[in-house]
Amino acid sequence: MATARLALESLLRDRKLDSTLTSARPWVAEPEDRIAPAGIPGIGSEGGLRRGHLSEIVGSRSSGRTTILCGLLAAVTGAGEVVAFIDTCDRFDPASAADAGVDLSRLLWIRERGDAARALKAVNLVVQAGGFGLVAFDLADVPSMAVRQFPHTTWMRLSRVIEGSQTALVLLGADHIARSPGGITVALRDDGGPRAPRGRWSGTADRARRLATLDIHPRVIGMLNAEC
Amino acid sequence: MKIPSYDDLARSIGDVHPRDTFDQVTRLVRCEEPVVRSSHASPEHAARSTQHGPPELFACLRARSDATAGALMSLARDFSSRIERDGDAGVVLDVAGLGRLLGDAYGIAAELQRTAFDRGVKVRIAIAPTQTAARLLTLGPMPPAEGGSRPDLTGGVATVVTGDVAAALGPLPLDTLQQLAGEPCRTFDALKRWGIRSVGEFAALPADELAARFGPQGLAIQGLARGLDPRPLVPDPGVPRFIQSIELEWPIEKLEPLSFVLARLLDPLAVALERADKGGAAIRLELRLTDKTIHSRMMQLPAPMRDPRVLRTLLSLDLDSHPPSAAIDVVTIEIDPAPARIVQFSLLERAIPSPETLATLTARLNALVGEDRCGSPVLLDSHRPDAFEMTRFHPPAPRPPGPPAPRPPGTLCLRRFRPPVAVRIGIAHGRPVHVAIDRRGMPGGRVEQSAGPWRSSGAWWDASGSHWDRDEWDIALSDGTIGRLYCDRGTGRWFMDGLMD
Repeated sequence: MATARLALESLLRDRKLDSTLTSARPWVAEPEDRIAPAGIPGIGSEGGLRRGHLSEIVGSRSSGRTTILCGLLAAVTGAGEVVAFIDTCDRFDPASAADAGVDLSRLLWIRERGDAARALKAVNLVVQAGGFGLVAFDLADVPSMAVRQFPHTTWMRLSRVIEGSQTALVLLGADHIARSPGGITVALRDDGGPRAPRGRWSGTADRARRLATLDIHPRVIGMLNAEC
Repeated sequence: MKIPSYDDLARSIGDVHPRDTFDQVTRLVRCEEPVVRSSHASPEHAARSTQHGPPELFACLRARSDATAGALMSLARDFSSRIERDGDAGVVLDVAGLGRLLGDAYGIAAELQRTAFDRGVKVRIAIAPTQTAARLLTLGPMPPAEGGSRPDLTGGVATVVTGDVAAALGPLPLDTLQQLAGEPCRTFDALKRWGIRSVGEFAALPADELAARFGPQGLAIQGLARGLDPRPLVPDPGVPRFIQSIELEWPIEKLEPLSFVLARLLDPLAVALERADKGGAAIRLELRLTDKTIHSRMMQLPAPMRDPRVLRTLLSLDLDSHPPSAAIDVVTIEIDPAPARIVQFSLLERAIPSPETLATLTARLNALVGEDRCGSPVLLDSHRPDAFEMTRFHPPAPRPPGPPAPRPPGTLCLRRFRPPVAVRIGIAHGRPVHVAIDRRGMPGGRVEQSAGPWRSSGAWWDASGSHWDRDEWDIALSDGTIGRLYCDRGTGRWFMDGLMD
């Protein structure tokens, strides 16, 4: 085995391809390189979003996508970093985000009027600038057809831009969009089916009832503590 | 303790070597250390220092005899670029940044003394945290040469105040304040009739009573007596201007070739700024057009910067948004200088985008999505739904990472529709039981659960139409969607405000 490796390395050197050789150990994700949403059970620090990778949060309406995203924004701004949120359909509610713990002074909010292509340009500008701890791209209310019209290389290019940086890029959508090999997918399950109630209500009488919270059932898909 | 004055010193040193003279003068400054050194700064000054970061420090030079205004200005300009003339015989200079070169305030005073002595300029020097205090201290009377009742205030040739400004100004006679304020004698005559003789006694008067008798003018004078600055230092326009201009042989009609001209002008400006250790605080662009009009643009920069590529990008993006109406004949760029930034990076904090990067990014985003649709949201102090305003993205300084703040339990995040979507509602027993929306991709169906109504109203006094009066309902639909409805009580129409997600 060792002989074969030496032969292969000498062959690569002869062809001036030895820059691909490395003696470093494979990179292992450290817990500090992950971002876990604040206050969301089921996504611990070991299963959070990895910096330098593209991840996604997918689920249907009222499944808790925005709640998880606000938890992520709160975690990153709480650590003193700045975040960017590209809001394709202008759905972000600053008041509820502030209630969730997001430091709004560290949030760059870009409000688009539904033009996904222009929002994608804004994402490009933000990730090229660098320095953001988290960049979120909200495509949840964009029709699937419009999202599919993006070239497949779009997500690969974005992944390449943030690779090795301290920025985590996360997509918010109704269906699976894309993730980089080191990224994760947070899929929000509909345990009781799509028509099951997702809210938790307090009080029994009509006049005393109030919406207490949402039932969120995240399932993390992707590498967990794996070596690249 | 005997404190020799400047004249005594000059007479005594005679033919002594200048370096020896400097040492004697330096000792003079140090022997004045009994001047106020208190840890109790006035609340106003403390608040201002907290808001503006590093503490301010001003020096005032006032001619004592035959010093000409030119000599004074020249002396001041050798120490600071931020100087302001104070009458015919005085000059105020910002010396806050000299600490790293000359040491503390006493070291700065000693250096000022030495330079003034070398040039044969007879001046009184005062250094204080505010301009007003420094000016008052140089206007105050000189103490007797043999020492007097207040040797700690104006004895010798230099006075340094590093602590409580109000306490340092207190013993000064009221005439000094009158001389500074330039007010008519009537106000000060009244004060003297009340028995007020010193600046400290006047500063201690209750402000409300003073305002009742003298109005805002009296309060302004009392602010001076307490050493507060009525306005920031306005630097003398005599400082060098950073300006470049070019007259084009052929008019330029498009913006792309203009960017090369901008680069040609900005490169030497950046070099000049670097040599002066300055950064640009604002940049002015003037384009003289072929129709004989002037197209002017001014940009305030978020932080002092001098990178020509960043400045060119900012100008180009600004011109993209505000193009000139005709071809360009003459291009002029002027940069307002400001002290350059000193950046200390940290190993413990995560890096955030630099001001140059943020300025460029914000300019590009503004050009892409619009100026009012990019920035940081700030919540308004109002119960009106969706009450916020967009501000320029200017994040605070990074802080070391710490544990995240605990998230309040049961937080609901809303995805808000802007504007709210009109819906058709079926109502039974006063509660919504069915929702239908005539738009594709919107939720609808039977209402499984509902909570409400939560009534809110406000701004009924406002005639501009911003008032609201509504009943809100939280509903769960049969398709699993949870949303917020409201009924506008003025019109009786129903709207979907947003979805919980």
